[in-house]
Amino acid sequence: MKISRQNIYLLALSVFLLIFVLIFSFMLLIPTGKEYRIKRAELKKENKKLRQLSDFANDTSTILQDLQNENRHIITAFSTPFIADRFQKQHRKFFSSLKLSKISKQENDDVFSVYEVNTTSEISSPKSFYKFLDAVNKSDWIIAINFPIIFKRDSELIHSSFTMKVYNNDKSKKEEKPKEDSNTTK
Amino acid sequence: MKYSYIKPRKKTALTKDMQLLFTFFGASIFMLVLTYSFLVFKDYRFDQREQEIVQEKKDLNQDINNMKDKITLIEKQNMLSQRVFTKNTVLKDSISNLFDLVPSRITLSQAKIMENSLTLYGITPNKDIYNFMLQAPLRSIFNRSYSSFYPQKNGWYSFVSTNFIDEESILDENK
Repeated sequence: MKISRQNIYLLALSVFLLIFVLIFSFMLLIPTGKEYRIKRAELKKENKKLRQLSDFANDTSTILQDLQNENRHIITAFSTPFIADRFQKQHRKFFSSLKLSKISKQENDDVFSVYEVNTTSEISSPKSFYKFLDAVNKSDWIIAINFPIIFKRDSELIHSSFTMKVYNNDKSKKEEKPKEDSNTTK
Repeated sequence: MKYSYIKPRKKTALTKDMQLLFTFFGASIFMLVLTYSFLVFKDYRFDQREQEIVQEKKDLNQDINNMKDKITLIEKQNMLSQRVFTKNTVLKDSISNLFDLVPSRITLSQAKIMENSLTLYGITPNKDIYNFMLQAPLRSIFNRSYSSFYPQKNGWYSFVSTNFIDEESILDENK
């Protein structure tokens, strides 16, 4: 059987192209395809994790917003620096005289800074002091009335002295210590 | 022997068969390269997306940590403020109760309220009124009560009443 030269060319080319296709497929296409499938599966997993994390972030954000809305007064109170003049303006109506002195910084606890304010005042009756204690809980700061509390009768008035602890967010690194203050209002 | 009189055609390697073969393999190779390019492009996009996801996760984790810190701070603020408000309210009630405790016949001149003690200065018409109307209720509240009397010129008595609550009983109450 005689095979023409033309057919030999045809056969050689066919074999060459077939080999090319096979090598291309096995060396490049199939590994890339495998990698594609693995990466697609991984990405699906990662997307799922991201969605879960995003949902968790949304839930946390909702909780935070709810807390912020519920505790707006407290949050503002903790971030408001104590100003003796403003305190006196707001609370002098309960006293015949009100004097704040010695604002000194106490030892910080882990989160909050605490300032101690010595207070002397004169009241006409203990009821004014009760009203003052009610008002302190609604004031612009978080203030704890502290011992010792001394009431001393002075003719028609009651002379009272007590200390107050004012709580603030601890920003000691950024913030300067409050200046010592001494003001009297009558 | 026969002779042909036609002019011989030019012979070419690109015969019809070869053209068909090239077309077929060309199409196949084109499709393979296209598929390969698609896969390489997708792999690249996956890598890019994965990096984006890593960054997004990092950002989200940071946000979550910040929010958790804020939540912790608000909870601490809330707890502390509630403690302070309660302490102020309890203090108000305690002072109110103390002044209600003092009978109208006894006049207080001074009251010192400490964390564990109470000292009262005042005047009383006689010791019995003090003992029955002020000392008795004070004894029921405090663990230890001490009284001193000083006679006045008008027959009344000045008194100093010192009352203590033992620390153990405060701790028991707090438990």
